[in-house]
Amino acid sequence: MHAAQAPRHRRSLARQDAAIGYLFVAPQMIGFFLFVLGPILAVFVFSTQHRDLLTGVVEPAGLANFQTMLQTDRTFPRVLANSLAFTVWLVPLNLCLALLLAFLLTRKLRGMIFFRTLFFAPVITSTVAWVIVWRFLLQGDQGINQFLEGVGIQGPNWLREPNWAMASVIVTRVLKTVGLNMIIFMSALQNIPREYDEAASVDGANGWQIFFRITLPQLAPTILVVMVLTVIGSLQVFDHILLMTNGGPANATSVLIFYIWFQAFRVFDMGYASALAVVLFFIVLTATVIQWVLRQRFIYNER
Amino acid sequence: MKFRKSIFASVFLCFVLLGVVAVSAQDEPINLRYTLWIAADSPQVARFNEIAAAYTAEHPNVTITFESIPFGDYQTDVTLQLSGSNPPDAGWIVEGAARLWVGSGVLTDLGPTLSADDSYNIGDFSESSLSLWSEGDAVYGIPFSTSPFIVLYNRDLFEAAGTPTPDELLATGEWTWESFAAAAKAIADNTEAYGFQSNDAALYTGNFWATLIPIMRGFGGDSWSPDNMCLFNSPGSVAGLQYLHDMIFVDESMVPPGTEVDFYAGNAGMTMGQLSRVNRLAEASFEWSIAPLPTGVNGTQSVIGQAAMVVFNNSQNRDAAIDFVRYMTTQENVARIAQFFPPARESVLNSDALVEANPLIPAELMQSAVIDAIQNGVVLPSSAQFPRIEFLVRPALDEMWVADADIQAITTSICDQINPLLAR
Repeated sequence: MHAAQAPRHRRSLARQDAAIGYLFVAPQMIGFFLFVLGPILAVFVFSTQHRDLLTGVVEPAGLANFQTMLQTDRTFPRVLANSLAFTVWLVPLNLCLALLLAFLLTRKLRGMIFFRTLFFAPVITSTVAWVIVWRFLLQGDQGINQFLEGVGIQGPNWLREPNWAMASVIVTRVLKTVGLNMIIFMSALQNIPREYDEAASVDGANGWQIFFRITLPQLAPTILVVMVLTVIGSLQVFDHILLMTNGGPANATSVLIFYIWFQAFRVFDMGYASALAVVLFFIVLTATVIQWVLRQRFIYNER
Repeated sequence: MKFRKSIFASVFLCFVLLGVVAVSAQDEPINLRYTLWIAADSPQVARFNEIAAAYTAEHPNVTITFESIPFGDYQTDVTLQLSGSNPPDAGWIVEGAARLWVGSGVLTDLGPTLSADDSYNIGDFSESSLSLWSEGDAVYGIPFSTSPFIVLYNRDLFEAAGTPTPDELLATGEWTWESFAAAAKAIADNTEAYGFQSNDAALYTGNFWATLIPIMRGFGGDSWSPDNMCLFNSPGSVAGLQYLHDMIFVDESMVPPGTEVDFYAGNAGMTMGQLSRVNRLAEASFEWSIAPLPTGVNGTQSVIGQAAMVVFNNSQNRDAAIDFVRYMTTQENVARIAQFFPPARESVLNSDALVEANPLIPAELMQSAVIDAIQNGVVLPSSAQFPRIEFLVRPALDEMWVADADIQAITTSICDQINPLLAR
């Protein structure tokens, strides 16, 4: 009797457990469905419509929005190229600098706390304050250029010349966010057992060899995660650009997300903005998948 | 007999019921949400609150909340709120977007209510002041601010540079765009300050229209014609842009791109602006004054920025909102806000009280720089395609603000790009 009842009893217990589990995740899941998945699906639907936010008029459009994007819109290729350039420069700069800082700041030296705080402070500074200070520093004949003039260099008009404006936005963005990646790398570095380094140096490896053969492979999983996050983040930088250059000069710093905002909230063309957002979604998705595949290929402890 | 009695009784009952409904309707509390783009703690909003309190005293069930949204986000926020479940009831719309909003069908026609009210006297608003806000007989907005562009200047810097001030030049009839540029150059050459800063320092990154339009019109040009043909590449517009370009790159008297300078902190000799900017000078550390725009090739071309009060169709208290906008724009209340917002009502414009309305501005300047300018001024450009046009013009102008720009080629390219939009 007992033996026959036990499994059923266990099953109902398991079911009870599961129900309680679902209850616990319910708030999170409801939030996710309502505020994340719902809007994402809505964007896909909107992208096939002519949808005017101001008048509220909605008409089916099929693929017309995507056709406009690829065939007649002269701004789209420009902003797409800007987005890619922004990411291609920002991500390596950010990762290399974060890694370098992490190395330097995990040394056991006096006053290290000060430097760690110094590089982390921009992360918790508001973007508005950060950008406004930099706008003053990057003026044509003042701020940084005044200093450069002192040492005999004629600095460019940073925010008014297309390439320099892009460079300024990238560098100030890197300086703003590098602290977070630095902290992640620091904790990863501190988790690598010292014995590996010691064993390698006993075997006669020099500093560079230890770095490239021991430390870097150990860090690889962290680097990849940080890279994925930084790529996604870089494609979504908006307030920084809006405040620093407003997309100018001559659209040199208009990135895709900036253009989405413009179409949605300046022109009120929600349909076209949604189509642009779908494109951005697939770009981010593709970048993430590529990096995931690379992870399985190149990271030794995942093979 | 019985029949008559029952009719009598039912009519009586109807009146009682109507009375109950009327009383309960009157007592139902209504809160009107009214959006605007100036700071909630500004003296303007304080004045609005006084007027709203007076309205509540007359209509105890109606209260009004003024909601301040920064100008840059205003249209976006209002549009989003209108598509949500708690739309604002009434608010402001600026001239550039007027045609977009009037054509969108989201604004309420105020014409029938206002025309029916004899004491309101809608005829007091000139036809030209309403033209931007009307379509046929429908009136979708009541202009409450028809604010001409004026020159604000730093008297101390003029004295330090030893150059005649605008009021001296006005007295001798020499207040022209040429003497404006000469004064700017004298200030830049002889003081630490710049001669001229664009309207709100926004020429290079923000609202460039407010600086370009007065100058292009001063040289006989414009952005586009009333029948929607691009005029950026007309000889007058090109001359005006060349003039500005020379001030930046030849005279080096105008604040160049990429330099942050504030007229209101005393770092530039002149700027342009509207009457509301004068409040920012109330506590300025320097002597200042105002002047009308300089004389151009066609005499003084006054330029007006206009904003109107509107009622949104989505409002859940539309009738109350219409009545409040009516109340805000009666002759009496227009006069009460005239200190900040130059009126479109002829009766207020021609009243003796207006010249004395702003304690910061002497009466004769109020007359010459503000009141005369309203009467012969032309409103800033407006288009139903305004955001798209702005998006195309801005990058083209960025190419113009470099030392060796080909202004004719750039303006031609602007017109090639925006003419299809203007034709829509």
